[in-house]
Amino acid sequence: MTNRQLIKKIIHWLLTVVVIIYLITGFGITEYRIVEPLTFGLLTKNLAQRIHINLEIPFIILLILHIWLLPLLKYFKSKKLGNK
Amino acid sequence: MRKAITSRGVLLLVLFLILVAALIFGLDMGVDETDGLAPVEIREYEGVDLSSINAFRENSIKGPQEIDVESYTLRITGLVAKSKNYTYDEVMNRHQNYKKVVTLDCVEGWSATILWEGVLVRDLLAEAEPLANAEVLIFHAYDGYTTSLPIDYIMENDILMAYKMNDVILPPERGFPFQLVAESKWGYKWIKWITEIELSDDANYRGYWESRGYSNSADLDRSFFGD
Repeated sequence: MTNRQLIKKIIHWLLTVVVIIYLITGFGITEYRIVEPLTFGLLTKNLAQRIHINLEIPFIILLILHIWLLPLLKYFKSKKLGNK
Repeated sequence: MRKAITSRGVLLLVLFLILVAALIFGLDMGVDETDGLAPVEIREYEGVDLSSINAFRENSIKGPQEIDVESYTLRITGLVAKSKNYTYDEVMNRHQNYKKVVTLDCVEGWSATILWEGVLVRDLLAEAEPLANAEVLIFHAYDGYTTSLPIDYIMENDILMAYKMNDVILPPERGFPFQLVAESKWGYKWIKWITEIELSDDANYRGYWESRGYSNSADLDRSFFGD
């Protein structure tokens, strides 16, 4: 596995985890009467909201990386080869 | 032959009677009675576009409450010279009514701009005569929800206890009979189904959401997390 493939895999998995947590905490805010008992009181509305808000920027960064990382790497690589 | 004519005659007679009965009942039913239709909310007031009364997310702790207006009592208790009990009609008819457009901002991210109509909380307080050591008002709701606000905030601002929104009597899911219009505060201070206003000297009192990590001051220009 090359470094590029490893980075790609890490970003994909991180994004998957963040999206799942983002969705669950979103429900934890709006449907707290269901989510709170389902999580045995662990995911309260307040906690869900704190996690949800703090995940906004990581989510955007990971999404951008997920979409643009490989095309950018390819672009820079081809530019580097072109210069040579 | 005669039998066929007779049975056809009976059939025609039955059809005729059904027709006559339908005409009689059809003309008689509901013509001189007025049926009430659903009230129509206004969506614009003095140039301000209003949100619909259905633009709210139902996020109360125990779901919409049905309060019987006949047995309803609003109590003003605690640090007052005269404890008060008001019926629904007494609150509305014995006090000056006011209306104003205020936007409710919920911590969940949505907001609603509504024309609220109701009575001023400070008018009710004036009748109960708060004692000098009263610092906060603790509002109690029918579903057990509570929240508090400083007495200074109530006295220095025109804080309404609304019974109408967009010219329509509050529906049960919006807080009938009364919802607090806690302007410039986050939505969890806008308590619905108010049953009691308790005056207290406990400045550290925290209501339902405040005791679960939300700000006690709940100022709109500050984060809803924190003190």
